[in-house]
Amino acid sequence: MSAYISKVGKGYIIISTLISMIIILLILGVLFLSSYDAIHGGGWRLFTLTWNPPNNQFGILPMLYGSLVVTVISLVIAVPLGIFTAIFTSEILHPKYRIYVKSFLELLAGIPSIIYGLIGVAFFSVWVGELFHLQSGRTIFTAAVLLSIMILPTIITLCDDAIHHVPQKYREVAKGLGLYKHEVIITSVLPIAKTDIIGAVLLALGRALGETMAVMLVIGSIDKIPTPIYNLLAPGQTITSKLGREIAESAFSSIHFSAMVFMGMILLIIVLALTFIAQQFLKSGQRLYE
Amino acid sequence: MNRRVKNNLFLAVCWSAAILCTLILSFLLSVIILNGAKTINPDFLLSNSRNFGAEGGIFYQMIGSVLLISGAAFISLPIAIGTALCKSEYVKNPVLQKISNMMIYGLNGIPSVIFGIFGLIFFVNFLNTGISWFVGSIILAIMIIPTIVLSSYQSMSSIPRMYRESAYALGMDKWKVITKVILPQGIQGAITGLFLGLARAVGETAPVMFIATAFSGVKLPGSLFQPVTALPTHILTLAQQATNTQALQNAWGASLVLILVFFIFSLSALFIRITLQPVSQR
Repeated sequence: MSAYISKVGKGYIIISTLISMIIILLILGVLFLSSYDAIHGGGWRLFTLTWNPPNNQFGILPMLYGSLVVTVISLVIAVPLGIFTAIFTSEILHPKYRIYVKSFLELLAGIPSIIYGLIGVAFFSVWVGELFHLQSGRTIFTAAVLLSIMILPTIITLCDDAIHHVPQKYREVAKGLGLYKHEVIITSVLPIAKTDIIGAVLLALGRALGETMAVMLVIGSIDKIPTPIYNLLAPGQTITSKLGREIAESAFSSIHFSAMVFMGMILLIIVLALTFIAQQFLKSGQRLYE
Repeated sequence: MNRRVKNNLFLAVCWSAAILCTLILSFLLSVIILNGAKTINPDFLLSNSRNFGAEGGIFYQMIGSVLLISGAAFISLPIAIGTALCKSEYVKNPVLQKISNMMIYGLNGIPSVIFGIFGLIFFVNFLNTGISWFVGSIILAIMIIPTIVLSSYQSMSSIPRMYRESAYALGMDKWKVITKVILPQGIQGAITGLFLGLARAVGETAPVMFIATAFSGVKLPGSLFQPVTALPTHILTLAQQATNTQALQNAWGASLVLILVFFIFSLSALFIRITLQPVSQR
């Protein structure tokens, strides 16, 4: 009897493991099969500038441009701010308060993105519209600012971990050489924490690329690259906002649907690659000073 | 510029960055709390929404969210615990460990909208379930499996080897060791992970908006395969009509309720991690 129960138990463990391992392959497979029509029928025409489903034009470049620009600008804002704040929480703030600050930040990092979207709609887009005298404040710039605030807690808490994990002896030696605090941080702490910080930034990049709800509500949803190309105060479109707005409206198994899924697959591949690279950085960082 | 000035400048930059972040983040919280508190009253919580959500309350939205996440909890917990047991007790080969880690981190990194599309293609169209809350639960369960697996694996692998060896020395077989030693010690990790996962799942909009929720007018689902309304998608509908002040006001109220639920789950995860420490770590 006991041997029988043992077998059932082993079976349960193996089956549940298989399920959780196969899901990711299933997702990739399903996305690939559904986007096959678009790849087969469209080919390189998918990488053009016009998205117009009634005319059978499915150019995804405007969405790729939007995703890229929004993410890069949000990182340009959030990364320096986040790293300096992380230096503050780990090096300058009294260690007694660090645990409270960190739990607060981790709580903030998990606030649902739809709530950021609501704040973006109610405040940020109005402010941007008034500040730059625009017809509508729903622009690429608004989305980037909102996104930078969303990823800020993640960047701060991961960078804080990275800096905090640098062993105390490096600081003591540097101080013993008579260095000022900023020299200790710049010459000995940051170089050691560098790989972990890069990993943190890559993770944040992946999260920012995949963010849907907040971006979708404030970006304006126009499938065009703005003219001129660096005009950030124009409405745009990202891959995620496009998917969120349009996938429910396109008929299943049409070439329109298939082209949408193709965009989703590109996004997924980029994000997965970033996740794996980030993991490598985070791990090698630990090995460096063990 | 001498070194002392540089030092002061550097410290000033750090201080101002920290102050700026504090200001931004406390602005966010105070906006939600102040605006939401004006709306929330027993009537708002217990009445049905009318006029596409612009009037009335959020009672059925809360019920819908509860249904979605409890379904997700029941589906994900057994699968995740099984996976964590397999990783900590059965897999000894480092290559397999590495592959399984890659799968789990990969699943954790998938953008939430992709889960929605996967659910739309695979369940709603291919398996022909239609828009149904149960499919939403399955998708949310898939999303939170990595969190639970990692958290349970961490607590299971921190059980000292001595515990396992003593159990084997008493003549227990592997399954007995798992149920009598590993699970009681490792369960706090699983529950912590579950609460963290649910805190994330309750606010997810993108995965459920195509596959599980109808936007308004739905009350209780009669079967597994009917849509519900949920808090996050309700906020989305209201945010899209943000020019209507009454709708916006209701959106703040729903946001405050959502964020309170999120805080409750996150804080219980923290509480469980602190109080339910396994015997081996006391």
